[in-house]
Amino acid sequence: MEDQACPRCKTTKYRNPSLKLMVNVCGHTLCESCVDLLFLKGSGSCPECMVPLRRNNFRVQLFEDPMVEKEVDIRKRVLRDYNKKEDDFATLQEYNDYLEEIETIIYNLCNNIDIIGTNKRIEAYRRENREVIQRNKTRMGREEYELEEMLELERAQEEARKQELAELETEQKKKKAREKEALIDELMCSGKDAAEIVNEFAEKVEKLREEEKKLPPPKPATQFSTGIKFGRTADQMFLPLPKAEEGPLYVHKVPTLYTEGPAAPATAEIESKGFIAHIRPENSAERAGGYKANLACQRALQEALMGLYFGAPTVN
Amino acid sequence: MQQLDGKLTRYEKIAFLGEGQFATVYKARDVLTDQIVAVKKIKIGSREEAQDGINRTALREIKLLHELQHENIIGLVDVFGHKSNVSLVFDFMDTDLEIIIKDPKIILTQANIKAYMIMTLRGLEYLHMNWILHRDLKPNNLLVNTDGVLKIGDFGLAKFFGSPNRIYTHQVVTRWYRAPELLFGARQYSTGIDIWAVGCILAELLLRVPFLPGDSDLDQLTKIFQALGTPTEETWPNLNKLPDYMQFKQFPAIPLQHIFTAAPDDLIVLAEKLLALNPVQRCTCTEALCMKYFSNKPAPSMGHKLPMPSSNKQAVEERPNLKRKLIDALEGGTVPKKLF
Repeated sequence: MEDQACPRCKTTKYRNPSLKLMVNVCGHTLCESCVDLLFLKGSGSCPECMVPLRRNNFRVQLFEDPMVEKEVDIRKRVLRDYNKKEDDFATLQEYNDYLEEIETIIYNLCNNIDIIGTNKRIEAYRRENREVIQRNKTRMGREEYELEEMLELERAQEEARKQELAELETEQKKKKAREKEALIDELMCSGKDAAEIVNEFAEKVEKLREEEKKLPPPKPATQFSTGIKFGRTADQMFLPLPKAEEGPLYVHKVPTLYTEGPAAPATAEIESKGFIAHIRPENSAERAGGYKANLACQRALQEALMGLYFGAPTVN
Repeated sequence: MQQLDGKLTRYEKIAFLGEGQFATVYKARDVLTDQIVAVKKIKIGSREEAQDGINRTALREIKLLHELQHENIIGLVDVFGHKSNVSLVFDFMDTDLEIIIKDPKIILTQANIKAYMIMTLRGLEYLHMNWILHRDLKPNNLLVNTDGVLKIGDFGLAKFFGSPNRIYTHQVVTRWYRAPELLFGARQYSTGIDIWAVGCILAELLLRVPFLPGDSDLDQLTKIFQALGTPTEETWPNLNKLPDYMQFKQFPAIPLQHIFTAAPDDLIVLAEKLLALNPVQRCTCTEALCMKYFSNKPAPSMGHKLPMPSSNKQAVEERPNLKRKLIDALEGGTVPKKLF
């Protein structure tokens, strides 16, 4: 790491320990002070390859080889559009071809081979697959969210475990101090032989230690890192599935309306027999709202015929 | 007068069940038949509401329920008045679908879900056949008794439909179950709005959390389109003619199989028809009930095999209408599952 140097001002890590190398999309490095100097206005061109750059895009170099840095950058950009998953392909072969294509594009961009053509290719792909890209983006967002939640949970558990350990330790320390105090008290106040007392205490401590060993290790892990509990605690999470019972399968019987009158014309007849002509046709807004004139027509007909046989002797 | 007094003493109050915006509900025993009933005592309300003589929602319930008789519609047993109060007497129902969905101790099998859906759709089919829109379908209003019979309740927003000259308000249905055409302000609509709500309820039975929990009307539409895709002029003609139409970002539709990962294919087909964005393409109750899903195996659970909340005893005592809603509101309601 000592031989890291800014290619412009030649400052090395050795001479300036706080040297921070920055890198931009072109993959050429500059030290922080050079960036400050050259990109005072917010944008400028790379002193090595003259590519126009923005100051905002500079970031700290993570890898020693600036080419790797450049590739990481390009890969991130390309994968933003090429975000299909294996499920999006019918066969493994197609998926592999797709991965191969991504690698080719990244390689081309990294090594300045046919940049214009490759960019055009990306643009065309983006246009063709806009919907898929959008969908996968939302899906990825969701997955990321879940992952984050999981990490958060894990962190909380880690914290709890640490705290538990710390508590245990302080408890032990306190215990030791208390034992010591008791020993000293005993030595001070009792009339027994000092050597005897010391022996007695030593035995007691030995016994306690053995007992502690016999105790089972505290709290075995009760859950996977995903938060799913295993073992006996599981019965809280998973309820036994009720036994599948076999009943009769459902068959729908269309109910008939009891009208006490002659049957109203069927839906098909409303139009064919011209009933619909007497009802104001629905306008486009009403149609978009789900209303249709033949509903109104049907209801009017039904209500007109309803109850006509009321009080008549049943014909049977 | 004597008859009225008779009715007052006919129903013996057993317990307080809950309080809503318009009424208080008591559990009572019918002295004559020794049946348990629910007595809904309508509040007089503000002077404005009382102007008509009786609260509008109560009037709707009485008017519509009086003539309806179906196994899956709540039965209005009796109506009586005392001084300026009106009380409605209903069949007593032990719990509702919301409690069942929220109970973590209950497993809803495919057979259970099918049984609930059949009962809901049959009740709704009967309503629609009689030209009535319920306009407030949600799990909370699907009541279930210990025999496992589901009945559609709360007809405070129900209304006749199918008259060409009447304008309807689009501010109906609890937002999470509101169909997109209502959110776009349609003033003439049809059975589609109830069907949409049933679709949301089916989704909720599967997911065990509200399917589309929007924070506002706008957010509701966004959630709908994020899940089901933004409609276009081709998929929903004349969409832009709706009063409150506005352009939305184009979201691609997520295939329903990806949302309901454990659902069988025949159920997905049903859900697609129930949750069609264009109301014209949404199926009717009869069409839904004739679909493969209902006749396929597994057979729907028999009534007594349907699950009951384990704390049913408690739940009955404090069947917390308003109470539960208040607590929920405090806790921010059910935490909706992140779908997107």
